[in-house]
Amino acid sequence: MSEQLIRALLLALLTALIALPVGYFVAQWAGWSVFCAGLALQMVFHFRNFARLERWSKAPVVDGNLEGEGSWDGIFGRLYRHEKDLREQIAKRDKEIAMLIEAGQALTDGVVLLDQNNHILFCNTTAETQLALVIRTDRGQPIVNLVRQPEFVHYLQEADFSRPLTLRSDRSEDRVLSIYMIPYAGDRRLMQIKDVTQTDRLDRMRRDFVANVSHELRTPLTVLAGFLETLQEIELDRDERQRYLGMMSEQSTRMEMIVQDLLTLSSIESAPPPQNDIVDMANLIDKLRRDAEGLSHGRHTIIAETDGRGDLSGAEPELVSAFGNLVANAVRYTPPGGTVRISWHANAQGAEFAVQDSGIGIDPKHIPRLTERFYRVDRGRSRDAGGTGLGLAIVKHSLSRHQAQLEIKSTPGVGSRFAAHFPANRIVGL
Amino acid sequence: MNESQHLSSQFDEDLGRLRTHVLQMGGMVETQISSAVDAYATGEIGSVKSIVDADHKVNELEKAIDDDCAHIIAKRQPAASDLRLVLGISKIVTDLERAGDEAKKIAKGVRRIYENGHVPSQFGIGVRHLAEAALIMVRQALDAFARLDTEQARSVIRADSEVDTEFKSIIRQLITHMMEDPRTITTSIDIITIARAIERIGDHAKNISEQVIYVVEGRDIRHTGKEGIK
Repeated sequence: MSEQLIRALLLALLTALIALPVGYFVAQWAGWSVFCAGLALQMVFHFRNFARLERWSKAPVVDGNLEGEGSWDGIFGRLYRHEKDLREQIAKRDKEIAMLIEAGQALTDGVVLLDQNNHILFCNTTAETQLALVIRTDRGQPIVNLVRQPEFVHYLQEADFSRPLTLRSDRSEDRVLSIYMIPYAGDRRLMQIKDVTQTDRLDRMRRDFVANVSHELRTPLTVLAGFLETLQEIELDRDERQRYLGMMSEQSTRMEMIVQDLLTLSSIESAPPPQNDIVDMANLIDKLRRDAEGLSHGRHTIIAETDGRGDLSGAEPELVSAFGNLVANAVRYTPPGGTVRISWHANAQGAEFAVQDSGIGIDPKHIPRLTERFYRVDRGRSRDAGGTGLGLAIVKHSLSRHQAQLEIKSTPGVGSRFAAHFPANRIVGL
Repeated sequence: MNESQHLSSQFDEDLGRLRTHVLQMGGMVETQISSAVDAYATGEIGSVKSIVDADHKVNELEKAIDDDCAHIIAKRQPAASDLRLVLGISKIVTDLERAGDEAKKIAKGVRRIYENGHVPSQFGIGVRHLAEAALIMVRQALDAFARLDTEQARSVIRADSEVDTEFKSIIRQLITHMMEDPRTITTSIDIITIARAIERIGDHAKNISEQVIYVVEGRDIRHTGKEGIK
């Protein structure tokens, strides 16, 4: 029995001990009255503490105003300490949980936690942007209500998670997501979402490249083979023979150009860093303007803009061919009567070589893929215009070997602007 | 809505499942529309068949959901917001199914154009822009239904008039185009069919949003004009 309980009992006994002689010596009723009065006093005392405890238990606070009297003191103290410990523990746990959630938020992969019925329990901000979720309102929703693509719904229903699901996001254009389902805590699931847009794009580029090389080489080859067959089987007069041979040599030149461009591209890729010639830009711009005029035969207005300040340091042949390519493209894709503007501006921060045309322009969706090998916006047109489909790929490589960025801006029907931005350490003679 | 506690949690589950089925159907229609738009933009008509095939599945789902609605009404006799949810759903699936039909029309139109060897390049961008706007409307209308978000539903309704304006301007351009060069009439008519289907998809998305508002607020704002969405 605890000390407090014994004290309470002793007090009751003491009352009885006082009441007993009074009852014996004075009168029986007097004894009872004293006993009752004593007990009543104790009752008042206990009630006061009881009321205090009740008040506190309704809204337990731990700022130290819970103090009992007499035998209640110990009980109050223990309750108070218990409450305080509990609160400290909860605060500690809360902090740990908050840290775990923060760690989840810091992940660059998207994470969604699902319960056994595939309802959303938690997701991090990456997943919110990847799947257009809003965790504040979407907690408890079945995930298929919001990620509704049939492939995903099917994947969840099949519940065969041995392989990840590759999903082309319908929320943000061209994002490719790889979704892994990892079971945890029994039948709950953790959904891990990786953004594989870049890998997917590289894969596609590689596949396209092989297919394109074969296709680009086979087209002229088929033509050649066809003519050869004709020449072998049909007796032709001299003129026709000459015409056929002419067309054949055209096709073989074409094949040679493609192979030459492929070799250029691979040599740029594997070559050591470019040596540092000094490229006289004022001269080069003038030469580019003359070349453009030659290519245009007076059908376009060619404007060269330069203040003659600053020259480039780098591999001259590469730069000349890259700039020449941009200018030739501009002339080629601008209808007669249009304008091609070649400009060079350098200052201490860097330099920009730009070619602006008033041509047919490029649909924005093609721009990111424009420098891929053999990528063609309009298959028919660019081959007629005599391109190999490798020009811009070579330009981009040559420029990036000089730490330059190729920036492409274009509005369909208005014109395009191709600009090469060079860093300050490539500029000399300012 | 279904978050409110019913005596029978089975009922809650039934309603939840019904909603998920509607959204599953919505996902199929979204995919139909976006594949049709892709086919139009890229000229790869291989996907046309899968779009047409998906229509059967959408139709089956429509019937199944309608059946479920009838069952719930008969068995549970829902009241107030639950009743509105069931009624709203049976209207939403009708609109979804029709939007799917329009997607099918687009796909078939695209096939006609490209099989005849034409390229709708001149109107490619305008129509694609229109289609993307309509697709976003459908997506947002379904999101609004999933989240019972009337704010989003109202923004879809407002977006519909933009799609309508854009549709009219495309039609005007096409008419001028046809007058200038009568050889383009066949292709232009196909493009008009496609643009018309896209515009209808936008209307269906608007109807779905109106149902969402009805389900949540109990207000029927159909045919009330601009006042209704305030």
